[in-house]
Amino acid sequence: MTSVMVVDDDQDLAEMLGIVLNGVGIEVDLVSRGDEAVDVFKNNPPDLVLLDIMLPGLDGIEVCKQIRKQSMRVPIVMLTAKSDTQDIVKGLEAGADDYMVKPFKPSELVARIRTRLRRAGGEISSNLTIGDLAIDIVEHTVTRGGKEIPLTRLEFDLLVALAKEPGRVFTREALLGEVWGYRHSTDTRLVNVHVQRLRAKIEHDSENPTIINTVRGIGYKAGATGPRG
Amino acid sequence: MKLFNIFRRSLFLKVFTLSSIISIALIYFLGSNLYVRISNGILDEKIAASLSEAESAIQYADYRFIIANLNPSTDMGLLVDEVVRSTNLSAKDSGREIAFINSNGKIIRNIPVISTSNFLEPDSIPSTFRAQVQNKSEIQWTRTQLRYVSGEILDGMVIGQKITIPRVGKYEMYVLFGFDGQQRTIDLIGRSMWGTGFLLIALIMITASVVLRQVIKPVKQAAEIAEQLTSGDLLKRMEVTGQDEVARLGTAFNEMADTLERQIRRLENLSRVQQRFVSDVSHELRTPLTTIRMAADVIHASRENFDPVISRSSELLLAQIERFENLLSELLEVSRFDAEVAVLSLDRVDIVALVRRSIDDLGFALREKESEIRIDTEEESILIDADPRRVERIMRNLLGNAIDHAEDKPIDVSIRANESAVSIGVRDYGVGLSPQHINRVFDRFWRADPSRSRIRGGTGLGLSIAREDAQLHGGEIRVWGELGRGSNFILTIPKSQESIHIEPAISELPTDFQLK
Repeated sequence: MTSVMVVDDDQDLAEMLGIVLNGVGIEVDLVSRGDEAVDVFKNNPPDLVLLDIMLPGLDGIEVCKQIRKQSMRVPIVMLTAKSDTQDIVKGLEAGADDYMVKPFKPSELVARIRTRLRRAGGEISSNLTIGDLAIDIVEHTVTRGGKEIPLTRLEFDLLVALAKEPGRVFTREALLGEVWGYRHSTDTRLVNVHVQRLRAKIEHDSENPTIINTVRGIGYKAGATGPRG
Repeated sequence: MKLFNIFRRSLFLKVFTLSSIISIALIYFLGSNLYVRISNGILDEKIAASLSEAESAIQYADYRFIIANLNPSTDMGLLVDEVVRSTNLSAKDSGREIAFINSNGKIIRNIPVISTSNFLEPDSIPSTFRAQVQNKSEIQWTRTQLRYVSGEILDGMVIGQKITIPRVGKYEMYVLFGFDGQQRTIDLIGRSMWGTGFLLIALIMITASVVLRQVIKPVKQAAEIAEQLTSGDLLKRMEVTGQDEVARLGTAFNEMADTLERQIRRLENLSRVQQRFVSDVSHELRTPLTTIRMAADVIHASRENFDPVISRSSELLLAQIERFENLLSELLEVSRFDAEVAVLSLDRVDIVALVRRSIDDLGFALREKESEIRIDTEEESILIDADPRRVERIMRNLLGNAIDHAEDKPIDVSIRANESAVSIGVRDYGVGLSPQHINRVFDRFWRADPSRSRIRGGTGLGLSIAREDAQLHGGEIRVWGELGRGSNFILTIPKSQESIHIEPAISELPTDFQLK
């Protein structure tokens, strides 16, 4: 059974989240303090973390950084009452994969959690290569010259989405649909921040990327292979 | 032109040049006046002295001719010669010249028609003056130039009178004086006056520039510090020394800056408190609202198990929670605009694609209505720098407003670009707006007709937020409307945030009304 750790200091909201998620067959572990969350995660790692930004003990952004130190893989979705740019971008930069602004629809939350837990490239069984990177879909690893590059699940999904069709230009909206499961969203900050984080890990020089290229005014495309690159 | 600009912008140059010009003019006027007076005085004195000297010389010559006449053996020719030669000092050496001219132009005895002293040229005596002397019995004088055979020329005067030499005939006797000595004195005075004048002007200019610098320095400093204050450096103050008017300017200026700083700090603090409050309200309201929403959703999901009254109640509950959410988020957005903390999150955006997407997203709202939305664009892709979330929200609000008021008639969306900006027009052919409505259409919570029901559950803040969003981009929304003929909203946003001046690419007056 899938388990989700909910970190929120509002007891009622946490309980309600528990009711909703239990209703769709997800086991929920409730934590109300930021500092506790890190310990709970260490002892009993969940499949996904729902994390409020404003927390007693340790704030959500710090908790996010601590969890990322322990696990690259676990998806983290921030819950925030503030739709202001700064908090969200800070959270994404700290390693969160996605965010939800309160108040959100329960169905939307469930859909978002399912997207994050889904395995990328499900329809592809073969392995992919892009630039000098080898992507193993089954093993969920990215290697360069036999050496593994640790990526979060979301970064892996983003890379796979681009590498599946090298040379195709993806708009940010298309990537939001493909990787994050949004149908209508123009919050391009999500894409921008994660592309930056991904580049920092896989590019030789993230200032002059060769694997994930920016197509100014449109979006991104993978690979400098062939004349189209 | 460039020089003129420099001149216009510098108080120092302006005052300095003006005071220099005035002092030069004044000194020149006074100097030349004085010079003329002095030189005239010197010459007048010389003329008076020369006249009396000439008179006595002529009388003396006359006397000698009368005496000589008593002795019949006297050679009048020799006597004339002697009188002429008696001027042992030439006019060149501040002496005088003497000339005898026969009035009839005849050589009588051994006396030549013209005899002059010291090789003076006879044409030194103008013929007009000779005629004057011949016609008058009194002594006559005029200014002339003394010319010598050697070529020397001298400014001076000639004095003449008719004289009768006994036994010989009528002659004119002329005595000529040079003004050489006087001219030298006058030149000397002139030169020293020029020198003094230049010295005076230089002194005045130096004094003026020193004084000006003293006065302008604090003014300049005040201007610089005022500029720094304007640009936000609230800690800048003027240096104050002494107790004079300049020091008072400095003190007053600094007091003004203190007051300004206090006020700004107070307002900044107020705005921070306000912003903080808004942010706290946001958090405090949103968290319970999320719980309510989820609870309502759970109840709503199992409404089939309840009796119809509770089932319907759960539907109403959910709908109103949704409305409450919208209202809350729009209120927060409005307060963010009011606190001036709203910021653009810029991106390169294809505005045509964005408009198409906004229309596609309206599917739900459109299904309840019959309106058809038609798009008219000249280009398939127009890239601009904009905040996509905000532009999409503007489009959502404009389109929603159009659908609400279109009365199931079609809606025309047009996209046009010019060099600096992109304009998007949303035209409906429904209820329209009266001139009074146009002025109030962006007012918060304003409704054209209070009796009309809210169909889409709009919050009444949509258009107000749309306009704030447009203005945040440096753009605008213009409105046209006529009752019963529909309305036309034109959103214009700059292509790049560097554009300072933008022109709408579409007129708010619809094309079908422009010909009238």
